[in-house]
Amino acid sequence: MKINSYRDWYWHILLLFAVVIQLWPLLFMLSTSFKTMDQIFLSTLNPLPAKPVIDNYLYVLKNLPLIQYIVNTLLIASSITLAKIITSILAGFAFVYYDFSHKEKLFNTLLLTFFIPITVVMMPNYLFISKLGLLNTPWGVILPQLADGMGIFLMRQSMRNIPKPLLEAGRLENASPWVILTRIILPLIKPSVIAMGIVFFINSWNDYFWPLLILHDKPTYTLPLALQMFISAEGGSEWGIAMAVAMLTALPPLLLYLTCQRFIMNTFMQSGVKG
Amino acid sequence: MNRFTWQSALFLAPATITLLLFAYWPLLQDVWLSFHSWNMVSPTMKFVGLQNYLQLLSSDELIKILLNTVLYILVLVCVNFILPYLLSFIIAHRLNRFSFFYRSALFIPSTVSLAVASILFLWILNPLAGPLNIILSAIGLESPRWFKESGLVIIIIGLIIGWKVFGYNLILLAAAMVDVPKELIEAARLENVSNWQLFRRIIVPMTSSTALYVFVITVVFGLQYVLVPVNMLTQGGPDQGSTNLVYIVYQYGFVFFQTGKASAFAILTMLIYALFLIVKTKVLDKKVHYEN
Amino acid sequence: MKKITQLVALLCIGAFTIAALGCGNSQNASSKTPSKVMIEYWHVNAESFGGPSVKQLVEQFNKENPDIEVVEKYNPDMYKGLTQNLQAAMASGKNPDVVQMGYSYLNYAGENLKYASIPDIITKLSPEDNTYLQDNFLPNVLALATTDDGKQIGLPYSVSVPVLYYNPDVFKQAGLDPNQPPRTWQQVTQYAKTIKEKTGIMGFFMQEYADNWAQQALIESNGGQILAKKDGRTMAGFDTPEASEAYQVLADMVKNGDGLHATNEEAFQAFLSGKIGMVCTTIGKRDNFEKSAKFTVMATQFPSFEGKTRKLPAGGNLLMIFSQDPDKQKAAWRFVKFLESPGALALWSKGTGYLPPRKGVTEDPQGLKDFAEQNKNMQVAMSQMPEVVKWASFPGANGLQAEQALIDVRDIILSGKQSAADALKQAAAKINSML
Repeated sequence: MKINSYRDWYWHILLLFAVVIQLWPLLFMLSTSFKTMDQIFLSTLNPLPAKPVIDNYLYVLKNLPLIQYIVNTLLIASSITLAKIITSILAGFAFVYYDFSHKEKLFNTLLLTFFIPITVVMMPNYLFISKLGLLNTPWGVILPQLADGMGIFLMRQSMRNIPKPLLEAGRLENASPWVILTRIILPLIKPSVIAMGIVFFINSWNDYFWPLLILHDKPTYTLPLALQMFISAEGGSEWGIAMAVAMLTALPPLLLYLTCQRFIMNTFMQSGVKG
Repeated sequence: MNRFTWQSALFLAPATITLLLFAYWPLLQDVWLSFHSWNMVSPTMKFVGLQNYLQLLSSDELIKILLNTVLYILVLVCVNFILPYLLSFIIAHRLNRFSFFYRSALFIPSTVSLAVASILFLWILNPLAGPLNIILSAIGLESPRWFKESGLVIIIIGLIIGWKVFGYNLILLAAAMVDVPKELIEAARLENVSNWQLFRRIIVPMTSSTALYVFVITVVFGLQYVLVPVNMLTQGGPDQGSTNLVYIVYQYGFVFFQTGKASAFAILTMLIYALFLIVKTKVLDKKVHYEN
Repeated sequence: MKKITQLVALLCIGAFTIAALGCGNSQNASSKTPSKVMIEYWHVNAESFGGPSVKQLVEQFNKENPDIEVVEKYNPDMYKGLTQNLQAAMASGKNPDVVQMGYSYLNYAGENLKYASIPDIITKLSPEDNTYLQDNFLPNVLALATTDDGKQIGLPYSVSVPVLYYNPDVFKQAGLDPNQPPRTWQQVTQYAKTIKEKTGIMGFFMQEYADNWAQQALIESNGGQILAKKDGRTMAGFDTPEASEAYQVLADMVKNGDGLHATNEEAFQAFLSGKIGMVCTTIGKRDNFEKSAKFTVMATQFPSFEGKTRKLPAGGNLLMIFSQDPDKQKAAWRFVKFLESPGALALWSKGTGYLPPRKGVTEDPQGLKDFAEQNKNMQVAMSQMPEVVKWASFPGANGLQAEQALIDVRDIILSGKQSAADALKQAAAKINSML
C-alpha cells in the first residue's frame, strides 16, 4: 500500500489545528482555576497564570460538600444511564425480533419523544413528581428519564446490522428470545451500547435544567447546580472558583471516557476485522 | 419473525410506559394548556380557544424564529455533521498513526458542561480584551460585537455548541468508520480512486446508518443545546436575534409566565418535528444500507 | 460489557448507600427538635455575591432564636429564577416563607402571587409593631415596596443605585483628571470621546441586563417616564422627546465608536482588564470590581442632565412573606425584623454593596458608620439615596413580555438600526397593545 507522505503531512496539520481549537479554551479553564481574582481578566494571549495559586480549590474543598455533590451526580447519572441502556435494548430487540401490527407506527411514536424539548414537558412533569412526593430527591430527577427514544432508535439500528443467519440459527435451536438476546445479539452490539452509554452518562452528568427544578436543598445538588452558585448576574461572578468547580466537574466524565476508550479499542480488536 | 405479541409487549413495556407517562402525557397536557391563558400559579385558567394560536401565527416574530431555527440548523449541520464525518474518515482511513490521540483530544470538550463552555468563549471572544481580539488587532481588524449582531450571534452560538458536540459525533462516526472492511478500501486504493470518490462510493453507504443517526441528533439535540448558551449569554437577544423554536417555548413559559402561549409554541414545534420525522422515514431511511 | 455493567451497578449501590446515609443523617438532625418552627428563606445570593452573608445572618438568627429554625435556599438566575421556582412551588402547594423579590417584579408579584400582607400580620399577630414601618423607613423608600394600587406587599431590603465607575489610570492616560469625573451627560460624552481619541481605549459602557433599570435612570433623569397613567390606565410613557433625547445620548456614543454595545459580562471583563474608561452600573458590583481590577476603582454619582433632577430607580429586592399558617407568619415576621435590624443591615451592606433601606444605619456606630467613612465609592452611592424612585414594572399578565419589548428596543437603538425617537415610538405602540 503506497503511503503518500505529502498528503499525510497536510492532514496532520489540519487535525492539529482542530485539536488546538478544541483544547485552547480548556487551557483557559484550567489556568483560570489557578489564578487570583485580579489576574483573571488580563488582556493577553498567554493563558498561563503568572503566580499559580490553589486558593480556589482550597475554597471549594473547605466550603462545599464536594464528595456529597460528586456522589449525587454519580448516582443520578449512573442510574439514568443504566436504566436507559436496559430499556432501550429490550425495546430495540422487540422491534427487530418480533412482528406485530402497527410496528412502524409504534416505533415512530417512541422515536418522536426524543424530539420533544425539555421545556415542553418540564412543567407537567414537575407537578407530577411533586404529587409523588419525590421533590428534592435524586429519584425525582431519575424517574422521568428511565427511557430514551434515541436509545431505542440506536439499538434497533445496530441490531438490524446483525446477519439474519445468526438469528435463524438461534431460533432453529429453539432458544428462548431472552437467550438469543443475551447470548447472540448483545455481544455483537457491545461497541454501540458502550458508545450510547457514554453519551447518556455524560449528558446526565452535565444536565442542568431539570435537576435545577427538582433539587432544592443544597445537600442534594449535583455538580452543575453547584457551579451556578458562583455565577451571579447581580454582584459579579467569582471566575476563579467557578473554574475550579468546572474542572472538578469535568474530570470524572473525562476519566470515564479515557478508560472506556481503551475498552472500545480492545473490543474492536477482539471481534476482529470484518471480512 | 415471531407473532408472540405478549412476549414482545413484555420487552416493550418498560420503555413504552416511561415514554408515554413522561413524554406524551405532558404533551397532551400542553395541548390542553394551549387553549387557555394561565400563568402557572393562579387557580383560574381562562379558556381562550384558538386565540393563542392565532396570535402566534400572525405575530411578526414567528418569521424571525423560523429563520433563526433554519440558520441554526445549517450551522450545526456543517460543524457537527459534515465536519466530523470528513475528519473521522481521515483519521480512520487516511492516517496511519496518532488516531487514538486525535480522537481523545478532540473528544475532551464534550465532557465539559455547556454552561462552562459559554462562559469560556465569552471571555475568549471578548471584543475589547479577549485573546481573539488580540489576534485580530494584530492584523488590523476590529473585533465585531459577536453577541449583538443578528446573524453573527447565531453563527457564534452554533460554533460554541459545535465546539462541544464535535467530539461526540466524531467518535460515533469513527466507530462506524472502523467497521468498514479494510479490503474494500485497499482494493479501491489500488485502483487509484481519489479520496473523494472513496468517501462517496464506499464510506458513505457503509456508514450510512450511523451517519443518519448522527445527522438526526445534530439537528434535534443541537436546537435543544441552544437553550443553555442563549439563556446565559443573550436571553434571546439581540432583539430576538438568537431565539429559536425551542428557546421561545422556554421564554414564554418561564420568563413571561404565559403558559398558554408557550404551549401553543410547543405544539407548533412538535408539528414541525413530526414533519421532519416523516421526511426522514420516507426519504432518508430508504437510502440507508443495512446488512439485515 | 458484563464487567462494565457490574462496575456501574456496584458504583450505583455504593453511591446510593452513601447518599442514603447522608440523607439519613441530615433528617435525624432536623427531627431532633420537633418544637421548632421551621421557615424557609429564599434568596438569590450566590457564593460570590452575598451568599456567605446570608449564611452568617441565618446562623446568627437561629442561635438567638432557638424556637425558630430558618433554612435558606439559593435560587440561581436571580429574580427571574427565583420567581420561576416560586411559581412552580406554589403550583404544587409548597410555598416558602420569606422571599427576596426583585423590585422589577413588584407589580407582577402583587397581582399574581398569593403573599401574606405584612401590615395585616402586624395588626393581627404583632400589634406592638404597629408603628414599625413609619418609624424606621423614609416614605420614598417604603414606597419601593408598594404596588401601583397602594398595597404594601413587602418591606424594602436591598437597595442599589446606579453609579459611574471609572478607571483613573485611563483618565490620566487621556489627560483627564481622575479627581474631576464627569458630572453631566454632556461631559460624559466629551470624556468618552477624549479617552477614545487620546488612548484608543473604549470610553463608556452602560449596563445591558435583562431589564431596563439603568436606561430608566437615564430617561427619567431627563424628565422622561417609562410608565404613564392616562385615563386611569397605565400605558407606555417613553415615547416623548425627553426620553428619546436621553436615549440618543447613549446611542450617539455608540455610533461614534466611543461607547460600547455588548453583553454585560464582556463589558465588565473588558473594564476590569483596563479596556474601558467608564462603566455605569449598580453599586452592587462595587466589591467584585474592587477585588478583580488591577487598578483602583473609583466611582462618582450617576451623571445628571443639565438643569434637571436626577431620578434613580432602586434596584435590589424587597422581603415578602408567603406563609399561610399563623405560627409560621409570626416566625417569618420575626426573621424579617431581624434582617432589617441595624446590625444585620450593616453586615448585609458590607457583604453585598447594597444600601440599607432603613433610617440611621449609616450614622450608627453599630451599623455602617466606620465602613462608610472608609469606602469612598460607598459614600457616592449613599449620597444618592434621596433621589431614589420606584423601578418601573409593567402591570398585567403581559407585563413581563412588555419589559422584554423594551429590552429589545435597546438593542435596536444601540445597533443603530433606528433612531431613538422612532424605535421608542414603535415600542410604545407594541407595549400598549400588550398592557
